[in-house]
Amino acid sequence: MATLSASKSQPLYLLYEAPSGYSIFEAHGLDEIGQAAAAVQESIKDLNRFGNVVRLVTFKPFESAASALDQCNAISEGIMTSELQEFLGSCLPKVKAGKAAKFSLGVAEPKLGSQIQESLGVPCQSNEFVAEFLRGIRLHFSRFVRDLKEGDVERAQLGLSHSYSRAKVKFNVNRIDNMIIQSISLLDTLDKDINTFAMRAKEWYSWHFPELVKIISDNYIYAKLCTFIKDKSTLADESLEELTEITGDEDKAKEILAAAKSSMGQDISPIDLINIQAFGERVVRLVEFRTVLHGYLVSKMHGIAPNLATLIGEIVGARLISHAGSLSNLAKCPASTVQILGAEKALFRALKTKGNTPKYGLIFHSSFIGRASAKNKGRISRYLANKASLATRLDCYLETSTNAFGQKLKEQVEERLDFYDKGVAPRKNIDVMKLACKEALQQQSNADPQPAAEKKKKKKKAISEEENGHPSVAVEDEPVSKNEPKKKKKAKKSAEAAEEVSKKKKKRKNAAE
Amino acid sequence: MRGRGGGGRGGRDGGGRGRGRGRGGGRDGGGRSGGRGFGRGGGRGGRGGGMKGGAKVSLEPHRHEGIFIAKAKDDALVTRNLVPGESVYGEKRITVEADGEKVEYRVWNPFRSKLAAAVLGGVDNIWIKPGSRVLYLGAASGTTVSHVSDVIGPTGIVYAVEFSHRCGRDLVNMAKKRTNVIPIIEDARHPARYRMLVGMVDVIFADVAQPDQARIIALNAHSFLKADGKFVMSIKANCIDSTAPPEAVFAQEVAKLQQEKFKPYEQVTLEPFERDHACVVGAYRASKKPKAPSAA
Repeated sequence: MATLSASKSQPLYLLYEAPSGYSIFEAHGLDEIGQAAAAVQESIKDLNRFGNVVRLVTFKPFESAASALDQCNAISEGIMTSELQEFLGSCLPKVKAGKAAKFSLGVAEPKLGSQIQESLGVPCQSNEFVAEFLRGIRLHFSRFVRDLKEGDVERAQLGLSHSYSRAKVKFNVNRIDNMIIQSISLLDTLDKDINTFAMRAKEWYSWHFPELVKIISDNYIYAKLCTFIKDKSTLADESLEELTEITGDEDKAKEILAAAKSSMGQDISPIDLINIQAFGERVVRLVEFRTVLHGYLVSKMHGIAPNLATLIGEIVGARLISHAGSLSNLAKCPASTVQILGAEKALFRALKTKGNTPKYGLIFHSSFIGRASAKNKGRISRYLANKASLATRLDCYLETSTNAFGQKLKEQVEERLDFYDKGVAPRKNIDVMKLACKEALQQQSNADPQPAAEKKKKKKKAISEEENGHPSVAVEDEPVSKNEPKKKKKAKKSAEAAEEVSKKKKKRKNAAE
Repeated sequence: MRGRGGGGRGGRDGGGRGRGRGRGGGRDGGGRSGGRGFGRGGGRGGRGGGMKGGAKVSLEPHRHEGIFIAKAKDDALVTRNLVPGESVYGEKRITVEADGEKVEYRVWNPFRSKLAAAVLGGVDNIWIKPGSRVLYLGAASGTTVSHVSDVIGPTGIVYAVEFSHRCGRDLVNMAKKRTNVIPIIEDARHPARYRMLVGMVDVIFADVAQPDQARIIALNAHSFLKADGKFVMSIKANCIDSTAPPEAVFAQEVAKLQQEKFKPYEQVTLEPFERDHACVVGAYRASKKPKAPSAA
């Protein structure tokens, strides 16, 4: 739309969005200064000269602070509001239907320009030339508008920017991911703290009952026992049943009873015991809270990133999201980045010294890598990162919630492990993905048949457009066509994978020879 | 101390564009705080003591207008507090009596602020002075912004742009108390998005630590920086290219700026306050000679 239609005879209007209202300017010195941005630049420096070139047509202040915020939000997104449309309609010359307009409108942003052009038929341009004019207007704005006093513009900016920024902070799009990020961080902190606290509790209670540490190594059970036993001399055979309940093992309970009778620990005063007990209870409650938090994180992960959680595990998945900043950030990362996420230090050291880059970062903690042999760890890590990246993108951009893809991807990784291990050829990628698509649709229709059908239709429409663009793509049967664009990529990938396989086979043959 | 050490993760939030990624190293590790400890050194002594001694502190104006040097046991860079009685990020305050009037100053830590580091690094002119209008890109939690707001005083304006929501929260809170700060939570890569909120400015200060920071500054300058306006840019070599030697990275960034009608005046390194950082100062559209018309 940045047409050069503004020939010298045609007037050029300029839309300037001030913090206090919309305004239209007319550049009427075009004959003299021509189309060169440099000439406009010259004229900007001096208000008198600029005043000769540009004239204020209308200024319409916003009605209220709330309306100003709405306009500001719309402008920042490049959307034309009805107020702006009304304003432009009222102060620009009318465009007769079927005739080309005899003027053009300069706007700061092409996106807004195209909207104005579509709805009002006003030809818009936004180029360097217009930008220079707008710079000039921005510089001298307060002197063009009579009603504005010194500092009025700044006050308007201040008020508007505060409300704009507050709204931005308030409506953070990533707020669901935030819950995951916070809870995984808390989980890590809790693990560390529980360990320290439990150590302290053991140390403390061992003055009284040193044998207990040897019998019970689990932190949680130890803390529970500590609160239950209290003074070891009060422990009698009657409490065997309860002890068994806590330890979950009758032999251990008996051992404890025996140890309590012949303990070499020193006696303890009741007041000391009270404090030890209070601390033990605190540890017990912390451990219980950790379990609850873990459950919460797992359910959150299955809600937000079901495929990723299924493929790589909830905790590792949550770590990845937390490290990337949000699910959409992670979805935007290439698979190679996902692979070494969390190993930045090693990566940059390797880049600097031109050494070997790390093979894995956070995804090392997934069980797959531990199961691969040392030689294949790097390979499986790369493969897993590829699949994790796909799963994340599905989670982020798929409208329906399903973990069918995650399951299939996981199977694929298993097959790949088998392949490295025993040489069992994996299934073809395209077949697995077809299966996954089918299952996803099935899951969906099982959940709610009505809306699913509608959604399918919508998607089909979108797909059919794409297919028109690429006639060479083979048309799949209906349920699969849903994921056509992804498919293409995957088909390519499977081709690559197949190539890899054949290479491997060759190698093996060579080795055999 | 809030914002730097504790809220490190928050900086990553939402695109990682603002400064999160750039400063990640400094935040997550003990890098910066370690440096801070070293900077304070011995002299400061006990908590809350030191500078607040009052009688022992004498104040001198710095070469740059709006900045002062407090001379006590140690010298410290200070700015006159616009909101007396309040610290923004837990920094020390010094009250000095001059002509029976009490004036409060805030200590400006060069280990936490690249602008302060540049001032101590001996930059010739920072162009930020009382009454200036400043566009501050990469405002983070507003530690440096608060000092800029002190320097420019009630007649100046600083437009503080920050992308991260987490940091932006602190920034907005800081701006509530200082009416010459205009907080903008938006991506500095898209100046058109906040064009309604910003007027023409005298100086752009950029601390964005992004690979394309020269482009970001150019985009903003095209919309908001006056002809013959000045820019102050801090470059973190590691954020642009971690494999090349820092000097080469600085030269490459300066060359990029020159293509965009910027004219660099000077360059200082921020050693010993930051490693592999440089601060470049220059002017925008400074030349008087006519350029070749490049209108579309």
